[in-house]
Amino acid sequence: MKHLTRLGLTVLMLSAAGCASSGGQSAEGGDQHREITVFAASSLTAAFTQIGKDFEAANPGVTVTFNFGPSDGLAGQIESEGVADVFASASATWMDDLASSTGVSDRTDFAKNKLVIITPPDDPAGIGSIHDLARQGVQLILAAEGVPVGDYARQALENAGIAKAANGNVVSNEQDDAGVVAKIASGEADAGIVYASDVTEAVAPTVRAVAIPDDLNVIATYPIAVVDGSRSIDLAHAFVRYVSGSEGQARLQSFGFLPPA
Amino acid sequence: MTRRRSAPVALTLLAVLGVALVVLPLIGLIVRTPWSRAGEILGSETARTALRLSLIVATASALLGSLVGFPLAWALARSEFRGKALVRALVVLPLVMPPVVGGVALLSAFGRRGLVGGPVYDAFGVQITFTVWAAVLASTFVSFPLLVLALEVGLRSLDRRLEDAASTMGASRWYVLRRVTLPLLGPQIAAGLVLAWARALGEFGATITFAGNLAGHTQTLPLAVFEDLQTDPGGAIALSLLLVTVSLIVIVTLRGRFLQTS
Repeated sequence: MKHLTRLGLTVLMLSAAGCASSGGQSAEGGDQHREITVFAASSLTAAFTQIGKDFEAANPGVTVTFNFGPSDGLAGQIESEGVADVFASASATWMDDLASSTGVSDRTDFAKNKLVIITPPDDPAGIGSIHDLARQGVQLILAAEGVPVGDYARQALENAGIAKAANGNVVSNEQDDAGVVAKIASGEADAGIVYASDVTEAVAPTVRAVAIPDDLNVIATYPIAVVDGSRSIDLAHAFVRYVSGSEGQARLQSFGFLPPA
Repeated sequence: MTRRRSAPVALTLLAVLGVALVVLPLIGLIVRTPWSRAGEILGSETARTALRLSLIVATASALLGSLVGFPLAWALARSEFRGKALVRALVVLPLVMPPVVGGVALLSAFGRRGLVGGPVYDAFGVQITFTVWAAVLASTFVSFPLLVLALEVGLRSLDRRLEDAASTMGASRWYVLRRVTLPLLGPQIAAGLVLAWARALGEFGATITFAGNLAGHTQTLPLAVFEDLQTDPGGAIALSLLLVTVSLIVIVTLRGRFLQTS
């Protein structure tokens, strides 16, 4: 009985503490939260990390927290958990998805990205153009179907008229573009298709890039928006404006992204 | 005369919390499963191929793991050598290492540019990555420490007088091992095998990093679940439930049979 009483007391104390803190939060409800959480496609990792720092420097006292991952997974997380203030997707599909479920505002396309072929630096399979990916024995790595960069890559192979042969050469369907880069940089396979922005300064020495002609290439458009229910709505709008503004755009282009229009 | 005692209330409450921690997510899976499509999802080519591959890979890993794990456990339990503490620590390392890191480590050793894999590839043109062998190796890497731990504990708690008695009666060392030690160790061997098998069945990170993800070759059930999450979340949940059910059946039947604690 004594145990039970002690346990009961502990529970009471804990819930009292909980009430106190939630009470405190509502009291300061008039102020803006000086913190935003941005869910962004993993291909934006390098660029957005830098933009986050820029934004914090331009807005003292503000903290930007990122959650990078595959766009589809992020959209799902926001729908079920609803903790994001801003969502930046690598495809319109997943933004549409979120817009129809949770709802978004201030949606705008902020960047484009095109595909590039990467090979290990010594190019073991002799890849000179996209058509070489159809050659028998070439070990090709793509992101999985359903991941935007994986779907775009398959579209580009289709455009080049080599979908069947190239798909037969696929030795692995990776979780995301980072997975493709890692396998090629380690020399484990002969070629992969990723975003041009994936070949960052850090990655460039470890892979060799082969351009895909514009008429065969798939240009990905990145939308960004404020998620409905954001608790820092003004700051979220400010971040979206910053990304599509001149400073954000300059930063994105330095990371290999193309302007939205 | 034994009298059943009930545990203190606080202890019981915490134990119930522990069970809830495992059971609630399971119930979540069951609730979210699209039952109307379950037959179609589980009967699909992808699911059947992935399940078959998972069973093969997990079984092969458990067997391969015991092949090297038993002698290792023996050495750790029965012999003295320099650096034993270090060896023991190294053996359990895969358990605490994030599986993705394990995959990267395997690549750097056995990949076609790896320490061992590189020279082998250059000399014979043999590449293990993206093959079922890589999936087996990745699963063995993460699961065999469980086997070693279980067997070492078993060997330590074994009554050595039984083995000594057999020896004094003229049995050869090999005979003692086969007819005395191994039978006595039965429950620990079974427990170790089941644990390692179950861990191998759920393996994801090291496999996708080292072996890649290709249906029919390296796409085990957890990898199929991951891929389905992108295109068909309901299907992914149904596959997860299949994985959980298979593990549960094996753990309950095998552990129940070999670990009768009465």
